[in-house]
Amino acid sequence: MSLDSNQLPTRRDEAWKWTDVRGHADGQAGLSAAGRPKFTLPEGVTIAEVPRDDLDTDTPMAKLARSFGGKVWAIDVPAGLQPSGPLIIENLNRGHIRIRIDIGKGAKLSVIEHHAGDSGSFTNLDMTVTLKASAELDRTLIHHDPDDAMRVVTAHITAWNEAKIVQQALSFGGNLSRLETRLAGMGKHIEAVLNGAYLLDGKRHTDMTSYIDLTAPDCTIRQAVKGVVTDKSRGVFQGKFHVRRPAQQTDAEMRHDALMLSDAAEVRSKPELEIYADDVECAHGNTIGQLDESALFYMRQRGIPLGQARALLTEAFLTEVFDDMADEDLKISLLEKIQNWLAVT
Amino acid sequence: MLKINNLTAAVDAGQKTILEGLSLEIPAGEVHAVMGPNGAGKSTLSYVLTGREGYDVTGGKVELEGENLLDMDPEERAAKGVFLSFQYPLEIPGVPTMTFLRTALNAQRKARGEEEMSAPEFLKKSRALAKDLKIKPDMLKRPLNVGFSGGEKKRMEIFQMMMLEPRFIVMDETDSGLDVDALRIVADGVNRLRNPDRGMLIITHYQRLLDYIVPDKVHVLAGGKIAASGDADFAKKLEAEGYDAYAA
Ligand SMILES: Nc1ncnc2c1ncn2[C@@H]1O[C@H](COP(=O)(O)OP(=O)(O)O)[C@@H](O)[C@H]1O
Ligand SMILES: [Mg+2]
Repeated sequence: MSLDSNQLPTRRDEAWKWTDVRGHADGQAGLSAAGRPKFTLPEGVTIAEVPRDDLDTDTPMAKLARSFGGKVWAIDVPAGLQPSGPLIIENLNRGHIRIRIDIGKGAKLSVIEHHAGDSGSFTNLDMTVTLKASAELDRTLIHHDPDDAMRVVTAHITAWNEAKIVQQALSFGGNLSRLETRLAGMGKHIEAVLNGAYLLDGKRHTDMTSYIDLTAPDCTIRQAVKGVVTDKSRGVFQGKFHVRRPAQQTDAEMRHDALMLSDAAEVRSKPELEIYADDVECAHGNTIGQLDESALFYMRQRGIPLGQARALLTEAFLTEVFDDMADEDLKISLLEKIQNWLAVT
Repeated sequence: MLKINNLTAAVDAGQKTILEGLSLEIPAGEVHAVMGPNGAGKSTLSYVLTGREGYDVTGGKVELEGENLLDMDPEERAAKGVFLSFQYPLEIPGVPTMTFLRTALNAQRKARGEEEMSAPEFLKKSRALAKDLKIKPDMLKRPLNVGFSGGEKKRMEIFQMMMLEPRFIVMDETDSGLDVDALRIVADGVNRLRNPDRGMLIITHYQRLLDYIVPDKVHVLAGGKIAASGDADFAKKLEAEGYDAYAA
C-alpha cells in the first residue's frame, strides 16, 4: 500500500497553514514505509513491539503513522525507577515511526532524540508519552536534517498529578520540518518547561508548534522559544494554551522571540491563549527583531570583529532557552552546536 | 600622534553637517581637553574618530602615527590602539563582562599578530584592577553594563580601558554620572595611564574633571571647528565665562 498524498495536511488546514507538507512530500524516500529507530535503554527500562497503541492520537500525521509505521515501540519505565543514564533514540532517518513511553508513578526518564534524516527522506515520528503521578520527563530533541529532507515529529504527552516535564528542542531545520508538542494536563500541580531554539539558514524551514491543554488546578507552564533566521529560511512558531474551567491557579507563560539576520528570511508566529478559568495568571509575548546596531558598534570599538560580535550577541540571545537543563554535559554539547553553526553562518 | 586635518563630517544621511573643517594635533605623551556647549559636535568627533556608521566623513584627514584611520573598520582602529570611553556605554545582554573583555583583548592581540593572553593571566590582571577601581568581582560576571547604574557603567569603561591599554584614548563625558569619590578613582586610573607613548583626548562639558586630570591643552569646539585653544587655566575661564564668545 502506498500513501495517497491527499492524506497529508496542506496549507488549507489551519494548523498547517505555514507548513505545507503535501506541497513538499512528492518523491521523498520513506513516505510509505516504516522506519527503524535505534534505542539505547537505561538499566531497568524495557522495550517491546506491540501491535497497537490504545491512546487517542488523532492528528493527520498520527493516522499516517498508524497506517504505515507498523508496530509500536512500547517503552516502559517501572514505577519509582530513576535510571542514571538517558534513553537515546537514533536512526530517526526515514519512514513512519510510532513510539510509546510509559513513565510509572514517581519514575524519571531522560530522553535524547537525534533527528537526522537521510538525503531526500521523509520521516514521521508519532510519540505518545504518559507520565503517571509524580513522574518526571526530561526530553531533548536535537534536529539537523539535510536540506532536502522532510520531518514531522509529534509528541502527545499526557501528564497526571504532580508530574514534571522539562523539554528543550534545538533545530537547525531541513527542507520542511515540524516539531510539535501536545501536552494534555490531566492532573493537578503539573510543572512543565517547554523550550526550543531554531537556527535556520539557506531555505530551511522549522515549525515549532505546541498545544497545552490544562484541565486541573495549580499547574505551572513556562515556554520560551527563540529563533534565528538568515538567508531565505523560514521559522514558524505556533503556541496555544488552553486553560479549561477547572484549571484554576494556572500560572502559564509563553514567549517567542526571533532574530531576523536577513531581509529575505521569514518568521511566522501565532501565540494563542484560550482561557475559561477565572483565577489564573497567563501571559504571552512575541518579538521579532534584529541585532542591536549600537551594541555591535560598541563591541567593534573594543576590537571584536563584526562577525564575531554578531555571533556573540546571537548566542547570548539564544542560550537562555537551555538554562533549565539538568544535564550539564548535554547542555554544553547543545551550546557547541550553536557556536559551530554561528561560526560558519 | 593623532593628526586631524580640516575634518568635515555629517550625520542624518549627509543631511546635517556637524564638523566643518576641524583641525587638531595631539602629540604622544599629551592630554588634550575638548570643551564646548551641548550639541557642538563633541560626541560626533568621538564617533568619527572610531568609525561609527551614520557619521559620514565628507572631507579632511585623520592620521594616527602616520596611518590613515578613516579607511579602517572600527575593529581595526581598536586594534591600532584607539579606545573610546562612551558618553553612553551600551548594554550587552547575555555576554558576561569578563567574556566580553577577554574576547576583545584577544581579538586585538590577534589582529596585531601578538599572542593571546592566557586565562589565568587575564584573571589575575582583571582582579587586581577591579580592586583598584572598587568594582565588585560579582559585577564582572554579570552581562556587561546590564542593570548597572550610570556611575558603574562609567567605571566599567575605565576598567576596560585599563585592561586593553590602548595607545590613544578618547573619553567622552566620562565625568557625568560620577560622584566625587568615583571621579577621584577614575582620574587616578587615567593619570596612571599617562605616559610618553600615549595620547588622550578628553571631552567634557564641565571643568570639574580637569581638576583631577590636568590637561596639556584645552580647546573649544564651536561652529564645527576648534574655535580657541589655551593651557589648563583656560578651562577655568571657559567655565566662568561660558561659550557665547565662540558661538558660530
Ligand atoms: N546619529 C545622529 N543623527 C542625527 N543627528 C545627530 C546624530 N548624532 C548627533 N546628531 C546631532 O548632531 C549635533 C551634535 O551632537 P553631538 O555630537 O552629540 O554633540 P555634543 O556631544 O557636543 O553635545 C546635535 O545637533 C545632534 O542632535
Ligand atoms: Mg556628547
